[in-house]
This record gives sequence, structure tokens and C-alpha cells, in this order.
Amino acid sequence: MILVITEQKDGQINRASWEPIVAAQKLGQPVKVAVPGADTASVAAELAGAQVAEVVRLEAPELASYTADAYTTALAALVAAEAPDFVFIPHTYQARDYAPKLAARLDRAIVTDCVAVKPYEGGFAFARPVFQAKLYADVVLEGPAPHLVTFQAGSQKIDDLARGAAPAPVRVVAAQTGAVRQQPEAPFREARQAVDLTQAERIVSVGRGIKAPENIDLARQLAEALQAELAASRPICDAGWLPMERQVGSSGQTVAPRLYLALGISGAIQHVVGMKGARTIVAINKDAEAPIFEVADYGIAGDLFDVVPAMIAALKE
Amino acid sequence: MKTAVCVKQVVTREWPLRPNDSKTWIRDQDATYEMNEPDAYALEEALRLKEKHGGEVIVVSAGPARVQQVLREALARGADRAIHVEGDALAYADAFAVAEALRAAIAPEGVDLVLTGLQSDDQGFAQVGVVLAEKLGMPHATIIMEVEAGAGSLRVKRELEGQFFQWVRMPTPAVLTIQSGINTLRYATLKGIMAAKKKEIKRLDPPAGARSRQRIVNLYLPEKSKQTRMIPGAPAEAAKELVRVLREEARVF
Amino acid sequence: MSAIEIAVFWVVFLGFVGWFVLQMRTRRRLVMAGADNFSIDDVPARVRRFVSEVVFQSRVIRAKPWVGFAHLFVFWGFCAFALYTSVQFLRGLGIADLSGTRWFGWYQAALTPFCVAVLAGIIFLLIRRGIVRPRALGDHVSKESILIGFFIAALMITYLLEYLHFGRQAGPGLGERVNWWIHMLLILSFLGLIPDSKHLHLVISPVTVFLRSLRLQTVPNLDFEKEELGFETVKDLPRKVRLDAFTCVECGRCQENCPAFATGKLLNPKKLVLQNEEALLAGALDRKLVEIYDENVLWQCTTCGACEQACPVGVEHTPLIVGARRGLTSNGLAAEYLTGTFNHLERRGNIWGLLYDQRQKFVQGAELEIFDASRHEYLVWLGCAGAFEADFQKSLRALFDILRARGVTFGVLARERCTGDVAKRTGNELLFQELAQQNIAEFTEAKATKIVTSCPHCLKTIGHDYQNFGFHAEVVHSATLVERLTRGMSMPGADTVTYHDPCYLGRYADTHEEPRELLGRFGARVAEPVRTRDNPFCCGAGGGLLFEEHESGKRISQERFEQLQATGARTVVMACPFCSIMLKGAQASANADLEMTDLMSYVDARMKAASHATPPAGPASAS
Repeated sequence: MILVITEQKDGQINRASWEPIVAAQKLGQPVKVAVPGADTASVAAELAGAQVAEVVRLEAPELASYTADAYTTALAALVAAEAPDFVFIPHTYQARDYAPKLAARLDRAIVTDCVAVKPYEGGFAFARPVFQAKLYADVVLEGPAPHLVTFQAGSQKIDDLARGAAPAPVRVVAAQTGAVRQQPEAPFREARQAVDLTQAERIVSVGRGIKAPENIDLARQLAEALQAELAASRPICDAGWLPMERQVGSSGQTVAPRLYLALGISGAIQHVVGMKGARTIVAINKDAEAPIFEVADYGIAGDLFDVVPAMIAALKE
Repeated sequence: MKTAVCVKQVVTREWPLRPNDSKTWIRDQDATYEMNEPDAYALEEALRLKEKHGGEVIVVSAGPARVQQVLREALARGADRAIHVEGDALAYADAFAVAEALRAAIAPEGVDLVLTGLQSDDQGFAQVGVVLAEKLGMPHATIIMEVEAGAGSLRVKRELEGQFFQWVRMPTPAVLTIQSGINTLRYATLKGIMAAKKKEIKRLDPPAGARSRQRIVNLYLPEKSKQTRMIPGAPAEAAKELVRVLREEARVF
Repeated sequence: MSAIEIAVFWVVFLGFVGWFVLQMRTRRRLVMAGADNFSIDDVPARVRRFVSEVVFQSRVIRAKPWVGFAHLFVFWGFCAFALYTSVQFLRGLGIADLSGTRWFGWYQAALTPFCVAVLAGIIFLLIRRGIVRPRALGDHVSKESILIGFFIAALMITYLLEYLHFGRQAGPGLGERVNWWIHMLLILSFLGLIPDSKHLHLVISPVTVFLRSLRLQTVPNLDFEKEELGFETVKDLPRKVRLDAFTCVECGRCQENCPAFATGKLLNPKKLVLQNEEALLAGALDRKLVEIYDENVLWQCTTCGACEQACPVGVEHTPLIVGARRGLTSNGLAAEYLTGTFNHLERRGNIWGLLYDQRQKFVQGAELEIFDASRHEYLVWLGCAGAFEADFQKSLRALFDILRARGVTFGVLARERCTGDVAKRTGNELLFQELAQQNIAEFTEAKATKIVTSCPHCLKTIGHDYQNFGFHAEVVHSATLVERLTRGMSMPGADTVTYHDPCYLGRYADTHEEPRELLGRFGARVAEPVRTRDNPFCCGAGGGLLFEEHESGKRISQERFEQLQATGARTVVMACPFCSIMLKGAQASANADLEMTDLMSYVDARMKAASHATPPAGPASAS
């Protein structure tokens, strides 16, 4: 049996929780799903839609907000009681905080950040990134069951989730949490300054290729369509077309968004050092030889005044 | 405030990574090593806390003889003394074995705080700090972006997903894993190097019975490597295709 | 001369000479208390330079011929008068009277033109100092200099009176005696004024010119075994730096040539030297240098070397600035903007902190071979910019194409780190020595003896600073090599370009004609900007300032870009990746429509255009 520990907050399931369920289903063993918290009825009902043997609501008032101490004690007792072969957990920030502790408490092996499960000599090997994902390693775990595995977000397709014909049974287990030493305060987002590029998920950045200050508006429209922040390279801010606080590069902000879309930016090294950490870099530049294409994941060598309106239109579809 | 900082020695980032013949580790003959970068941030944080509150910074590392290099470096940057748990197998050990070795070094010291980097640049377990806390019987918190130290207690800022943060209080002694970028690293100075020559590195044998529970059976390069994909076509088609790949492949919105 | 006169003269003489000796002893003691750093390598070269710069005043004349010749006249006049003065002293002291001899008559006749030259020179200089008042000489007219100017003029006039008037009278009269006494008292007063004035250069500058290093910015390694940390306090200043403080003639040429000063920053190289002098004389040996200098000035220096090169009396500013930076950096007190760069160098081995896989990608993409001494003549050093800066990589590809077209074999190192240029200039000696030793080990292992680079900073660091580790290879800039390789080629053209000399190439390596030769050869006419050849105006990047994004005053790069723009040329040719980054930045900020290109890219494009028109020329020998 595989026990999957899911994650919820205020009655909202963390989407990453579905992925270890998918992984567990693929191994063809019975799957039980546990959801720790103080009030997990709605999340449990949602989880019961998946094809699983049982959903366990692990409840205690102390589990209302996450603490490593309470979660570890409660989950250790549950795992001991259920005696699964494996414990699968999504590799969330929360799991990173308690899963190793849980493994240590149980004195069992754990593999973190797993991206794939492979058959290996009658058991399983777990693929995980090492050396900052420049290499991957297949890892086998030793020692008595259960073995704990945390799954990287995106390692499984949630679309592959097998749904049950009828909702799975739901059971409530009253958890004992023991002494809790951490006192968490309410989660918060940083009071956002007028512009905080460092926290932006998506950035549309403009360079000299934008030609005139009145064209900035075109970039702004694209940024709105993408729900992105607007940024710029140094010449734009030097010229006063955008304020200095929107400048990306060694003289401005260092950013690491999921998407960095560079419009008419040539890619001078001082700019590149400020945005190289972006997960996906897109460059649109008339000059196919522009250095920015060296660091881009996707590129269009074309006139931004043609491409950008077409993108805005495509995004609105 | 007496702080222990756990640092790991890893191969430098420029070392060409190639699996060895048995595909159980990289080829590391003649490799050059450096301090694991997240641990450098932990050390920096410890030094800043000491500058603010006084006390002592003890730097601890588990590994073969060569890890003295990073201990020396830590001493040069301002740590007061070092403990080296020496064992060749520790270079490839799992988080349990490493944490056990570190526990043996730290437990007798009676520290107020244990800091370490969030994870290592090589194995990237992100487990050692948490397992160590359990072994030392201390509370812990991970992915820390700010530390406020008080008398007998801490208030620390954890990074959560989706740009959320959370302050957590806990009593000391405690273990914190530090997020890279929490501070600006200081650079090594000649003054520090000279002062480090006079500082002590204590050597310990690894505790008996600490053995790894996981091993690598295959090490390989990932399939795809980063290359620029140019999207051809007339502006309208190219734009449409770009929006599609961003949505479906890159999944950035 | 009466016995009374002689007795009085003795008293006066001993008074002034005693005062002079006392003053000079104080200064000698102050200088000799410093660490010994007088290095006298290559004596023949030093003697040649001494003849040129001291005897013929070449450095004084070069930048300012009018002032220079005026000064030359005064200087030679002084030398010519030395014997006359000695004779008069012997006479006055009652030791011997040679003034009546026949040869003295001839000598006096010969002195007359010198006397006129000195008079003309000093009047010119007095007018300049007192009336024209160029800014370099300071904000206030130096009363003492004016006084000394009048002294010199009076000396000449009293001489002429003696020679042309009194000397021709029969027997000594009262007029003659008064004239003689005035002359001698002027000389003695002058002597008394020397030690505590800029005229001390009369005594010291021949020594400082002789002792000045043969190459600009000669900064020896710190010896870690001796726990050397650089200059922290006045006490740490070594002998040459102390001597420099006393030799400074306050002419302000360093200040005039300093790009930081010119763009409204606080740094003034002249002031640093004078502040050293003041501190030494005040006995403030334990004062920290940073407390003596104005705030932050040490971090405003681009190490362009213009000050040091302009100095006519052998002051070496860059070793002082680097030394004082070391004193700070060794204690963790470097300018804040350098922290990131130091971290990048420590943790990634390059100035931008990027991962070296990008270099790998470039090496593969450009189909470069790993250097093998048995197959390759040259090792091409890529440098940080070659590894990471896409524009500079284009110019390197151009260089590779030229080398291949000319049949030159070359390879690159499998692994490079930053040469340590930035670390060296910013006083991070620890980092510099680590990087240097690692690179030298790679060179040695590869058995590289001929190294070519397109980066003038790498050129200076590998070619000059690495000599401190005993590493001596032939290191050339690509401009030098390609100029050699393409001799005999020529292309018509009517392209007008302007060329920006990189400081570390034009000034430091004295390589300014080769790029012009190349440009001319390939059909370009060079419109020279102000400040060119071996005295260019810096782009603002050197000395670690590439990473100072918030410079005070006007950006140096902007100033230089405007100078280049003012030539009217539509194309700016550069030969340094740092200059390229700075000037392209200035161009983008100015939104100016100029073509900015590297010398190698320019030459390669023209060669390729030519080979399309005519059959390719055969390979040439590299040497």
C-alpha cells in the first residue's frame, strides 16, 4: 500500500498534491490518501474523487496552521498505524520542511525531489536531479519500509489522474500532535512597493528597439495581456522614458521571473547579468544577430511593431 | 550567542560534470572544490549575528581530508574555530549519515543556534539541516530569509510558495536552513586569511553506525539542453506560435 | 672684498646653508623611514630616459611645448650658472677669487645668451602663472612661486648688470658691491626657500625620474608571508611614494589629464600626492590614508594611467592608489560596488559571475581547438568578455577568421579564469594572486609561449603583472599581430572612422600606430578625437569602475563618447571589450546613430569584402 500525504491550506488543496497520487496509481498498488489539517472535509471530498482506497482526514486543532513539530508527530503516528510500503509526498516548500524530519522520526529512508519512478531489480529506482539539474541520478533506497518519496511539481501529469467510479471512503483520524515549539504567524506577501520587479512572475522589458517614448504603451498593453510587470534596459531609463526603478541589469534590478520577454533589447552584458536567472527568456528583435538571442529560450527575429500587436491579439483569443 | 554552521565542500561549478565508469558518481579525480554556496550564506548570516549579538561561530564539516579547505576559508571569513568530522565515505553519504556525523560534532558544544544552507549544490537533498534538528532534539525552520535573535528565542522569516512569507517564533537552541540571497556575502580578505592561520581545526572520527540508506545506481545527463528556439514565419503566425509555446510548453501563464 | 665683507658673508652663508641642510635632513629622514622599494632594474634604459627627460626635458615639452621650452631655458640656465655661482661663493667666502681669470671672461661671455633665455623663459612663465592662470596650477596664485620667479629674474638682471656694466668699470665701486650682494643674497634666499616649496623638485626630481618604474603602473605583488596588506596608514607608504610627495612640482598635469577630475568627481591625483606630503611633514604617521584623502576618491580612479604618464617629475600615482586600495580591501573595506564582483570572481572565476558553460558553447560554436604546443603557434586568450559577452565574441570570431585566412595556427585553453585584472587594480591581492597562479599553471602546463588577446586589460595583466610570478611569455594584442600578418595588403576605401585608443593599449602598451596602420591599410581614414594615441581619454571602465553603475558627476563614458562623436565620423572603432561595453552604453543612452565596431570585426569585414573582389592572398608568416 502507498500512503500519499497531501497538502491543503484553509480548505484549498495544493494542486501539487495530485501528482504523488498519480505516481502512486501508476505503481498499481492500493493507494491511501491522507490530508492533515483542522477542517479537511471539503478537501477530503475532493480527494475522494480520485481512484483511491481511502481518504484519511488527519485532524487536530493544532494542525490548522502548519508547524513541523505538529505535522511530524501526527504523521509519524499515522504512518506507524497504516504501515504502508511507501509514503509519497508532493515536494512543496512545506514538505521540504517536515518530510526529512518525519523520515528521521520513523528512522526510514527518504528520497526528495523525485521526477520519475523506474523499476529496478524487483524494486524501484527514483530519478532525481543532482548537481543543480545538470545531471540526473537514479537512486535506490535501503532499509525497512516504508520509504518516503517527495515528488517534484510537474513530474506527473495531473490529467493522468484515474478517477473512481464512486467517491472513495473517507475516515477521520484524531491526531495527537504533542508539544509544538514553533509559533507561526500568518503568511503574508511583502508590502509591495510601487514596482517590485524582483517579485514579478512575468516581465515584459523594453530596450532601444522601442524607438520612441510613445511606443512604450504598446509594450504596456502586452504586459497587461500577460499580467506582467513592465521593465526596461538602461538606455530607456537614462532617457527617462521609464523610471529608474524599472531598470533591469547590473545598474538596476536583478530579476528571476518565470517569463522574461525582451522587446528590442540588444542584450548588453550588463543587462544580461540582471535577467539571466529567468526561467524562460523570450527575445523579439529585428536584428537576428543581437546578443540577446544567445541567452533566449525562444526568439523571433522580427519587427516588434508587427509581432507585439499580433501577440496581444493571440493572447486575447 | 554560540552558533554552529554546517558547511559542505562541493566540486566547483565550472568542473565539467561527467558520470564515472560505474555511473555512481561524477568523475572527480583532480576536481577543484569550493564551499557549497548556500552554506556560504549560512556562514555569512552567522557572522552577522555574531557581529550584532556577540558570541562564537563554530564551523563544522563532514567529509574527507580535503574539506579542511572550506573550513580554512570559513575561518578566514571570520568563524572562530572549526570541527572536522573526517571520513572519506562522507563525501558521497546520504543526509542521515552526514547529519549523524554533524550531530556528533555539535551535540557536545551546547550551541544556541545551528545554521546550514538550504541544500547542497551536488546532491541537493535539502534534508541534512532538518534531520540534524531531529537528531539534536531541536526545533527547526527551513528556507529562512531573515533571522531575528532574542534571548532564548528566535523569530525567523520563512519563504513560502507564491511569494508568500511567514514569520515563525521558536525557542533556542534551534536549527535553521538558510535561503541563498538572504544577505550579501563578504569576500575573503588578507587580514582574515592571516588571522585564520592561528585558529583551531578540531578533528573527529565519524560516529560508528552511521550508514547511508540510499545509493545512486545510475547517473546520466538530462535529455534536453538549453538552446534558443527561433520561431520563424510572418509576424502574425510567429506571434501566435510564440503564445502557444509559452502557454503549452513553457507553461509560464 | 674686504675682510669685514667676507666675515659677514660667512655668517649669512652659514645661516642659509644650515637652514637648508636642516630642512633637507628632515625630509631625508621621512623618506628613508619608509619601506625600501627603490628598484633600479635595467640601468641603461634608465640612463637613456634620464638624458631624455631630465637633460632634454622631453616630458615637460611634449604635452606643452611653449611652457616646456620656457622651462628648458630656465633649467639649462641654472646648469650653466652653476659654475658662475660657485666662483662667486668661493670669492665671497674668501677662499679663492677666480673672477679675474681669462677663462672666466670667456665663460661669462658664453653665459650671456643663457641669461637672456632664462629671462625670457621666466617672464613667460610668470605671465602664465600670474595672469593667464591655468586651472591646473591651482585655484590660487602661488605667492611663493611668483616670488621665486622674481628672484630668478632679479638674479639674471643682477648678472647682466655685473657683466655688462660694473664688470667693465675700473675697480670695485659701491654699485658693484651692492649688485653683488643682491645677487648672492637672492641665491641664498632661494636656497632657503627650496626645501619647503615645490622648488624642491630641483633637487629631487632628477632622482625620482631616474627611480620611476620603466612601465606604467608597476605594482609588485604583496608578500603574504611578510603579512603585507597594502598601504593602510601614512607609515605604510614606501620610500618612492614618500619621495614622490616631495618631488611634486604642482604643475597639475596629472589633474588636467584625469578623466575622473574632468567629469566632476572629487579625485584629483595631484591632491593625493600633496596630501601625502602634508601628512608626512606633520608627522601624522599613524593616520589612516582614507582619513587624509577625500572620501571615496580612491574608488573613483579608472587606473587609466594618464596622471602618471603626464607627470614630468616621475611621480607614480597608480601604485599609490592601488596600494591604498589594497590597504582597504585587505581589511574588507573595498567600495561596496565591488562586493558583487569579488564574489563573482571568488565563486565563478569571472567578473560577471556567470557559468563557464557559456564559454564552452562559444568554443564549440566557433570550432576552436584546444591549444596544443606541438600543433599551434599561438594561444588565443579569450578572457571574461570572450567567454560571455556576445558582441566581443563576434570580434573574436573575426580574429579567428583573420588568423585562419593568414594561415596562423592557434588554439585556446580548455579552462580559463579571469586574469585578475579587476582584482589587481582594486587591491584584492588575495584574489588576484589566486587567479594569476591558476592561470599561470594552465599556461605552463600547455607550454604556451606566444599568447594573443583582444583584451588590453588581459594584455597588461598577463604580459606585465604576471612577470611578478616569473611568468614571461610573448603576449601581444590582436591589433599588433594582425598588423604584422597583413603587411603588404591594401584596400582602397574612403571610409572615415574615428578610433578610440584603449588606455591599456595605447597608453600602457604604447600600441597606437598598429591600429591606425590597419585601418589605413583597409581603406579607412581616421578622424582623430581629442586625447588620442598614447594619451587617450578613458572610457570609464578600468580599475573596477566597470561595475560602478552610479558614478558621481558626468559619466566618463558619456564624455568620451561625445569626444568621439565630435569627430564627425559615422563609425567608432574600438579595440577593448570594456571600452566597447562603456561606449556602447553611452551611445545607447545618447540614442546616437553611430556604428560602433571592434577593430578586428572591421578589418575582417574589409578583408572578406576584398577577397570577394580579388583572389585571396597567400598565407603570411606571423613574425
